[in-house]
Amino acid sequence: MQFGVFTVGDVTEDPTTGRTVSEAERIKAMVAIAVKAEEVGLDVFAQGEHHNPPFVPSSPTTQLGFIAAKTSKIILSTSTTLITTNDPVKIAEDYAMLQHLADGRVDLMMGRGNTGPVYPWFGQDIRNGIALAVENYALLRRLWREDVVDWEGKFRTPLQGFTATPRPLDGVPPFVWHGSIRSPEIAEQAAYYGDGFFHNNIFWPMSHTQRMIQLYRSRFEHYGHGAADQAIVGLGGQVFMRKNSQDAVREFRPYFDSAPVYGHGPSLEDFSRETPLTVGSPQQVIERTLTFREHVGDYQRQLFLMDHAGLPLKTVLEQLDILGSEVVPVLHKEFAAKKPAHVPDAPTHASLKAAAERARDLETIKEPTA
Amino acid sequence: MTERSIAVVTAGLTTPSSSRLLADQLAAAVRDELSGRGIEARAEIIEVRDHAHDLTNNLLTGFPPAQLRKVLETVEQADALIAVTPTFSASYSGLFKMFFDVLDDKALAGKPVLLGATGGTERHSLVLDFALRPLFAYLKALPVATGVYAASTDWGTGAAKLRTRIAQAATELVATLHHETPRQADPYENPTPFEDLLNG
Repeated sequence: MQFGVFTVGDVTEDPTTGRTVSEAERIKAMVAIAVKAEEVGLDVFAQGEHHNPPFVPSSPTTQLGFIAAKTSKIILSTSTTLITTNDPVKIAEDYAMLQHLADGRVDLMMGRGNTGPVYPWFGQDIRNGIALAVENYALLRRLWREDVVDWEGKFRTPLQGFTATPRPLDGVPPFVWHGSIRSPEIAEQAAYYGDGFFHNNIFWPMSHTQRMIQLYRSRFEHYGHGAADQAIVGLGGQVFMRKNSQDAVREFRPYFDSAPVYGHGPSLEDFSRETPLTVGSPQQVIERTLTFREHVGDYQRQLFLMDHAGLPLKTVLEQLDILGSEVVPVLHKEFAAKKPAHVPDAPTHASLKAAAERARDLETIKEPTA
Repeated sequence: MTERSIAVVTAGLTTPSSSRLLADQLAAAVRDELSGRGIEARAEIIEVRDHAHDLTNNLLTGFPPAQLRKVLETVEQADALIAVTPTFSASYSGLFKMFFDVLDDKALAGKPVLLGATGGTERHSLVLDFALRPLFAYLKALPVATGVYAASTDWGTGAAKLRTRIAQAATELVATLHHETPRQADPYENPTPFEDLLNG
């Protein structure tokens, strides 16, 4: 099982000091978080893409390319890549380029983005959100898998004899996850292609996450990619830890109370009960996270949101230390002990490359020797 | 004996509240009317005030807390709805509107509804037709022709006339109850096949 962090890259005032970091500080902080994530033994760093303040990461492959140069093991991913407003041609090229620079340590999570005004800035309309996600992704897959593409669709200019460059590293496209909070169409899309499905799992009750994952799993089996329990599932989670749980609650409460999305609403206690948010001791985080598999089955990737709501970088790095040293090693062991042998790990560049080579060998054997 | 479930949503703020009083009388009239036809009524009273914090939290977070979720399900699953609001600033109260803002916008489709409103003066009585009816028309509910507005005088000298209006509205609501309320399809049970999505 893979563990990691995901960040949206928000610039939010620290409610305890009234200080807001500059864009430069926030961008560098995201890099520091990625480097730290590798150092403490995490497997994945994923970052969001936004084109409106208060968010900084408008150019994920610039940032991930820079992080690739400063790391050597961690998988670089997105949370999410906007499959609706980006040109699929540019996604195909940007992430193939990143694959080469990062020696294959790249996968992506597709998302639609939920802010209406962003769409027209890129010549689109939020009402076409699902249709854009469907058409653009179908094209993106072809651009990575076919050297020369002739294509015509509704949303971009046609392509004639087009070759996206560079070609994917070793001829193996990056693995793709599809992220959606509540659209059954996206679970259906992930299942159709046998791609991964990720639920952010931090804003809504687990019962809802469970329904989306169940839908994805049953459709994954329907489309013949394997049994439902072999589908590739990722979950988000949100935690804040201190040695003593009271200290964690006391320190995190002001950040929670004025956080974007749920701030000025439910109490920390109510929100912790209703959603997977866990504020407490490392042991409490371990216990809560282990319950996720009781709702969604054995899954492949767990990402934690650690750096939002104005938490200072120093605190976030301390949190990563606790996550890497006290929480993830136990989770690795516990999850591994529970996972049956037929449930696969999340695909990586190495495993996809090996699978592609095996498939080629089989083709060679099957060819008639005339 | 067959049974019908009636959800009663009332948005009064005080105790006792005239909206609750009207809601209780409407519910009792509907119950009497049903029992005259050999049908038992199960009325579930929902005081919106009891869920005021949960409603705000639902608006901010996008999901209903557990207790509110149960109440929203009660309304969705009911055979009919009685909805009563006080008149504030020439319309339904903000709290009343919040309840219907967080309720799934398909939850009332095809559902018979009896509309009620209260106010200090009968000069506001058109609130039923100018504010409540458009809201329930948007929600594709089926409000019966008679809505019941109760002003302060209706609790004193006007009580007999109010009782007549209540009885009339209850008769109309019960008359619609032989309709089958359409049940909503569950998008997580029967997703659109992906080939259909690919073909636009």
